[in-house]
Amino acid sequence: MNNFAHIKPIAQYKKVGYYSLCINDNEDSLFEEFIKQHTKTNEKKLDHILNWLKVIGNRYGAQTHHFRPEGETADTSALPPKGADRKPQYTEYGKKKANNLRLYCLRANEHIVFLFSGDIKTTKKAQHCPNVKSHFKLANQFTKAIDDAFIDRDIVWSDDYTQIECNEDFKIYF
Amino acid sequence: MKFPKNNIIDNWLNENGNPEIARLVEKNLALTEKINSILKERGIKKGEFAEMLGKNPSEVSKWLSGTHNLTLKSINKMEFVLGVDLINIEPIKEIEYVYLGSIQGGMEDAINDYEQTIYSEAI
Repeated sequence: MNNFAHIKPIAQYKKVGYYSLCINDNEDSLFEEFIKQHTKTNEKKLDHILNWLKVIGNRYGAQTHHFRPEGETADTSALPPKGADRKPQYTEYGKKKANNLRLYCLRANEHIVFLFSGDIKTTKKAQHCPNVKSHFKLANQFTKAIDDAFIDRDIVWSDDYTQIECNEDFKIYF
Repeated sequence: MKFPKNNIIDNWLNENGNPEIARLVEKNLALTEKINSILKERGIKKGEFAEMLGKNPSEVSKWLSGTHNLTLKSINKMEFVLGVDLINIEPIKEIEYVYLGSIQGGMEDAINDYEQTIYSEAI
């Protein structure tokens, strides 16, 4: 059976609009499920990532250097950006710890970002991590499918490239 | 495509967010964005900037990622090579006194001579 997903607008800030995908007929998007899953277990790490989304959304726009490249078969990115592994800026129980929570996403341009899902990364390479491997692979699949939808004009840009439009019943097959 | 009025990111941060993390993310990003824009304005490439700092380009990339825990020493080094102030070290003014003029006869006379004006009667 083919899986499909539809686009769900998540949040609009001054400079960035965030979207996510709902798989099959799920009401909750991948990003909403990600928030629910990590609120209890990884609250501080999630707090860090959500603050990033808010600050870049309101002030700077989604610049490439705000994300880490996570492409395997497509131009997928993730948050937080590189550098966090070495010297994280927050502590847990008084000790500095890395934010190894990954949120995979597609930065379509500086105004539009698709937020997928993620988990705690435990190995150097995402492909080897039992937690994030499936999220990483899925994010790459979605990125390719969304890129193709832009090419086929199933998803279209507004004149100033700050918004996207598509039919309400548009589905991404993966 | 319409966005929901309910912003789930803001809602989550309002309910669960730690203001200390919010402040750190905001300041860290503000500082690195400031440096990035100076480099862009002056046409300095990241590799050249690393050379100016006498550092490895990968280390400088880390510094400019917005997530690195920058030390005062590294901020000072960047300020020095760029010739700019990235952080403000002016003393904090809790109270500022402003001269409004002098009162003839002193404060006590001014209090004794005070007459309340009832504006509704004055009209």
